[in-house]
Amino acid sequence: MTDTLGELSDAIGKMNSEEQVMTLLSAAISQGFSTSQIVEKGVRKGLQTVGEKYEAGEYFLSELLYAGSLVEGLLQALKPRMRDEELERKGVIVLGTVRGDIHDIGKNIFKMLAESFGFEVHDLGVDIEPATFVAQVKESTAQVVGLSALLTTALVEMKGTLDALRTAGLKDNLKVLLGGNAVKKEFGAEIGADATALDAVEGLEICKGWMKK
Amino acid sequence: MSTQRERFNAVIHFRKPDVLPWLENVYDETLVEWLEQGLPAERVTAIDWEMGRGGTALANMVTVKGFSPYAYFGCQSLYGSLLQVDIGPIPRFKQRLLKESDRHLEFITETGAIARRSKTGKYAWYNMPMFVEFPVKDRETWYKYRERLNPEDSRRYPKDWDSEAYIKSFEAYQDGNTMMRFNGFYGFGAEIMGIPTFNLMFYKDPELIHDMIEYWEYFTVETIRSAVETLKDRIDVVYWWEDFADRHGPCISPKLFREFFLPHYKRVTEFLAKNKIDRILMDSDGNINPILDLVVESGINGLWPLEVNSGMNAVEVRKKYGNKLFLIGNLDKSELAKGGQAMKKEVDSKVPVLKEMGGYMPGADHLIPVEMTLEKFKEYAAYIKPLLPY
Repeated sequence: MTDTLGELSDAIGKMNSEEQVMTLLSAAISQGFSTSQIVEKGVRKGLQTVGEKYEAGEYFLSELLYAGSLVEGLLQALKPRMRDEELERKGVIVLGTVRGDIHDIGKNIFKMLAESFGFEVHDLGVDIEPATFVAQVKESTAQVVGLSALLTTALVEMKGTLDALRTAGLKDNLKVLLGGNAVKKEFGAEIGADATALDAVEGLEICKGWMKK
Repeated sequence: MSTQRERFNAVIHFRKPDVLPWLENVYDETLVEWLEQGLPAERVTAIDWEMGRGGTALANMVTVKGFSPYAYFGCQSLYGSLLQVDIGPIPRFKQRLLKESDRHLEFITETGAIARRSKTGKYAWYNMPMFVEFPVKDRETWYKYRERLNPEDSRRYPKDWDSEAYIKSFEAYQDGNTMMRFNGFYGFGAEIMGIPTFNLMFYKDPELIHDMIEYWEYFTVETIRSAVETLKDRIDVVYWWEDFADRHGPCISPKLFREFFLPHYKRVTEFLAKNKIDRILMDSDGNINPILDLVVESGINGLWPLEVNSGMNAVEVRKKYGNKLFLIGNLDKSELAKGGQAMKKEVDSKVPVLKEMGGYMPGADHLIPVEMTLEKFKEYAAYIKPLLPY
């Protein structure tokens, strides 16, 4: 049997064409691989390679976005075959850009990567009130809250949102991840966030690490 | 004593001026904060509200008139005197409001994008708009948009701009350098397509990107041709806006840069060099280190703002590239805003050593943010100014 899942993973990692990865997906299906095998050993492994190359400085935003687009297409094609119990859910993330900031490019890239890796992401959008984060965390089974900000003027809102989660008694069972161009790691530590990611790939790795513990 | 322009020109040609120019740009909203903090209000003739600002406004923006923070604090504005060549879409898209809620406005900009602005924030301009839709999405929309990029359109230049009287009066009004400004290949593409789509298209539809870049080269050269061939080295510096990097690195890889951009960069810089314009400053935030070899190869020879938070260090760049790049900025604005030892440490770590190496003008690593108080800026000014004379 040929290593079709390895080829699929390599094709994603090497930025092959949409047509090539779809052909490999069809081959994997016709060879009888289960959806979870295809997703884990083909799709996510390929995306993992892209993430590693991004962190190593070999790949950049274009490659990350293109790989994300390939993976989205593959997952969409697999959707009719997916059964809830078949795919392991990695964790639940509540995500949003904090009040006073309406920017979302980085947040959306993080969301795309996190969903591709099996996280359930509740994206609240932009300019989100602290109370809305609190309400969503209460309603969901989120283990992680991701707060995003591009503007330095919104940093105070990150602290305000974190304080609101603490006041609501939610923080003890919750990891708070900060991201966005305005945020430095020192700031995250200063306000008591659990981690600060300098880019979407780092953010995903942090979340994956938390879920292993 | 030299003029500001002579000092600027000395540095970008790696000669020593009598006094090193200190270059800053201050947001008008920062100035308004400073007025509240004690900046002498009698020096300001008006605080007005304007529409405009590159066609991305619609919501009114504060602007402080009749007051030069540069003259007041003893620094120069990076932008100097800008040649008025219009590289935007003509006709402009008509700005109009599309949607309004308690918190946000959505409107069509003059460049054809749909932008969202916050209504609730204190700072309308400083808190940048979020672009939610762009005029170019695919080939069809690109060809349509391109109809507005006609280099021959007479509206691209002011009336009688090339008359001797106009040029004389322009030169008489010199405030710092004479600058020609245009958008680079990434900046242009990202502006009309949006960052995610433009980046994606390098893989999804590379032929479209080649077509766009090729056309932008043609459009740029033909639009600026009259000014360049008439004024030649009366233009001190070309300002090439790209903004193609974030903290992680450039948005496109060196491989893509070489394939898609490099030949076009070279043709534009060669056209400028043929007309004795040999100083080209690239504006890009973010970490551009991974792509600097190619930037130098492309004919760019100056960098601003060298953003510290993204890992840029002017001393390291100078050591690696020698006199191939003149450098402006690189003082961490957040450290400057702290004042005291943090500010002094930041200035001391860069200014004396780079002043001796030459080809460097100090300044914050972007515009002065609203978080910088008047008191801290005064402290910074008082500390840096004695370091400037040679």
